[in-house]
Amino acid sequence: MNGMQLSFTMAGVTAVLVGTWLVITFNRLVAMRNRVQNAWAQIDVQLNRRHDLVPNLVETARGYMEHEHSVLDAVTAARAQAISASNDLAARATTESMLGGTLGRLVAVAEGYPQLRAAENFKVLQEQLTSTENRIAYARQFYNDEVRKYNTSQATFPGNLVAGMLGFSPKSMFLADEADCSIRLLSKNDESGRGEERG
Amino acid sequence: MGVPLALVITPLMYGVGLIAADVVNLFWPVPAEFWRKAGAVAGFGKVALDWLVQQKSADPQALAVGAAVMLVPGMLFSFLLWVGLVRLLRRSGSGGALLALAAREPLPTVLKELQLADVVQEMAIAAGLPAPQLMLIDAPGANACILGAGPENARIVVSRALLEDLEREELEAILAHLLASIGNGDLRIAVRMTAVFEACGLLLAIINAPFGPQARRTLWRLVRCWLGSGSDDPKEQAAIADFLTRSAGLETDDIDRFMDPSGKKSVLRSLRNFLLFPIFLTNLAIKLLLWVFLSVMVGPFLALLWRTRQYLADASAIQLTRNPDALARALQKLSQEPGQIPGGDWAAHLFLVLPGEGVGHADNSLSAQQMQTLARVWLASAPAGTQSTWATAGNFSAVSNQISATVQAAISGDVQAMARLHAAYHELTATDPQLAAQVPNPDDLVSARHGDFSAMTRLQAVRRNQNQKASKDDSAGSQAPSLIDFHPPLKRRLNRLAKLGAQIHENSAEPKARIVVLVLSLLLGPFVLAILALLLLLIAILIMASMTFVAIWLAVIHKLFALAGGVRIG
Repeated sequence: MNGMQLSFTMAGVTAVLVGTWLVITFNRLVAMRNRVQNAWAQIDVQLNRRHDLVPNLVETARGYMEHEHSVLDAVTAARAQAISASNDLAARATTESMLGGTLGRLVAVAEGYPQLRAAENFKVLQEQLTSTENRIAYARQFYNDEVRKYNTSQATFPGNLVAGMLGFSPKSMFLADEADCSIRLLSKNDESGRGEERG
Repeated sequence: MGVPLALVITPLMYGVGLIAADVVNLFWPVPAEFWRKAGAVAGFGKVALDWLVQQKSADPQALAVGAAVMLVPGMLFSFLLWVGLVRLLRRSGSGGALLALAAREPLPTVLKELQLADVVQEMAIAAGLPAPQLMLIDAPGANACILGAGPENARIVVSRALLEDLEREELEAILAHLLASIGNGDLRIAVRMTAVFEACGLLLAIINAPFGPQARRTLWRLVRCWLGSGSDDPKEQAAIADFLTRSAGLETDDIDRFMDPSGKKSVLRSLRNFLLFPIFLTNLAIKLLLWVFLSVMVGPFLALLWRTRQYLADASAIQLTRNPDALARALQKLSQEPGQIPGGDWAAHLFLVLPGEGVGHADNSLSAQQMQTLARVWLASAPAGTQSTWATAGNFSAVSNQISATVQAAISGDVQAMARLHAAYHELTATDPQLAAQVPNPDDLVSARHGDFSAMTRLQAVRRNQNQKASKDDSAGSQAPSLIDFHPPLKRRLNRLAKLGAQIHENSAEPKARIVVLVLSLLLGPFVLAILALLLLLIAILIMASMTFVAIWLAVIHKLFALAGGVRIG
């Protein structure tokens, strides 16, 4: 084989190798991006679950603390707002944390009504509520973990050379905000005992 | 699998093949070509043996073929057994295991169980896995395990006592560990590992099959399972549960019973024993081999592998909960008490801590008459029209399984099953109080659900009695033979957790004890090695003897067939 053919062959082989690497990298990044989107959708699922729990909770509480109008109405209003803001991403963050805040206030007020606290169905509802808050927190944590993996993948060498060209941009993580702290700190007093911030 | 094991199995396989050929020869004359080929194959084998035993020099190629001839059939057979078991376990192993453990669904009415279900869901979200099905056991030992073939159909089994002992955070940590284990693919590894141990048990069952009705029945049900398609068939699951809890232990065999039945010794029996001596010897050789093989070679290797997975699961759990202290505390709490789970011995490696002995054995072996009475009463209490064909008064283990299944159903809320239990229990207390200890008190079942510890202990004693009838030795499981424990030692686990950020409050550090152990092991080391070498020598002798006997025996039978053929033709 003379020099020309040799260099052609080598160029061909190199092209095939680079092409394979490109394909593998692209697929990997696509898979990771899909996982990130899936994780985001999971958060949605848990937020909707919280929406569904609220009416039952409010009705049970209303049976025992009828004159606490302000708190109960605030919860109902916040829920309505959260549901209506489902499509707008920016507004959604605000409405959801407001809902979390009002729920926290409701739980705090319910502490002062021992009969309500002792009622079986309220215990179950409270457990479901605390669990939902936990699930939202864990869903966010999972989302953050996936975003971290994705960001790392598309920023490390040699992937970063082509990530921009192929259309992969870094995604942002969830950060804790003030309103979300409220319900977790307030739940410290109940028997489930989860009072810690999650990161 | 083991070379020595193959050496023992192969002659038997050849023997079976030759006898089959002989039988066929009686009816249709097999071409002489076949016998010549067989002779050539045997010649190769003889070359290999001569090289090994008498150090006669041999052509390497012939040697290789000879070695292949001697080893390959046995190895192939064992490998096929293992593959078959993996398939079986993957399909319905978890169902059978759940039956053996008497696991039940969590009740939505009990708040703690609701919390547990919620925690499982939360951890599944954190891990990004589909939430596994949760099952509970009413046992006083605090323990938990995972079952299944993969993340899609995984199940978590938690004992009720675990709920009582641990706080919320620690429960989260433990469940995170279990879920992380599932996510890391430990279930596939566990199925393969369990299959290795069970394959040994299966081998023993096959050898025992010509002699004992028990082994035959177990084998038959296993074969039916393997050929069947349903994974939810309760009979199939019961068969697997039976197989797992009984034949994994190397306990007294049908062969021993066959050889030496209680009572009369007659000349005929002795003659029969003498004739069947090679099989007996093979059985013994295989048992000894399996014991050494499992404890010294395969066992520790698998144990170390499994420990690595446990460390990984610990680290993943911390990544999920971001709370190393809770996991450390939980592990410390769990290691303090024996987490005994009746019926879980064969799967000890899957549990968080070793299911220990705990409560002492009550010596409750039933006489044959008592077994009959129990079976009769139980069958009489069956609602009209639901007699099953495979549980009869004579088949006691089937009756025992049916009792377990009914107890399960009663726990899950089946009113008919509960009524039947009530009837049977009252009848038994009236007839024979000792027998009543074999059936759980229905009221205990109800109170155990709500965390009544004395009820749980009573229930566990009943289960122990039930298991004792089936297997003589309760703590012999597939776990027992390994010299190295499958569970990582607590100290090492805590050390690793401390590196990951946990703050651990040690009770006592005993450096002096460690030095003593070190010195002792150095002193005793050579002795142990010597004993091991002797053991291996013994095994080698046994193998040789077994092969010789089988060869003689086969030659005699072949001659007999040849004579019979000759008489018939000529």
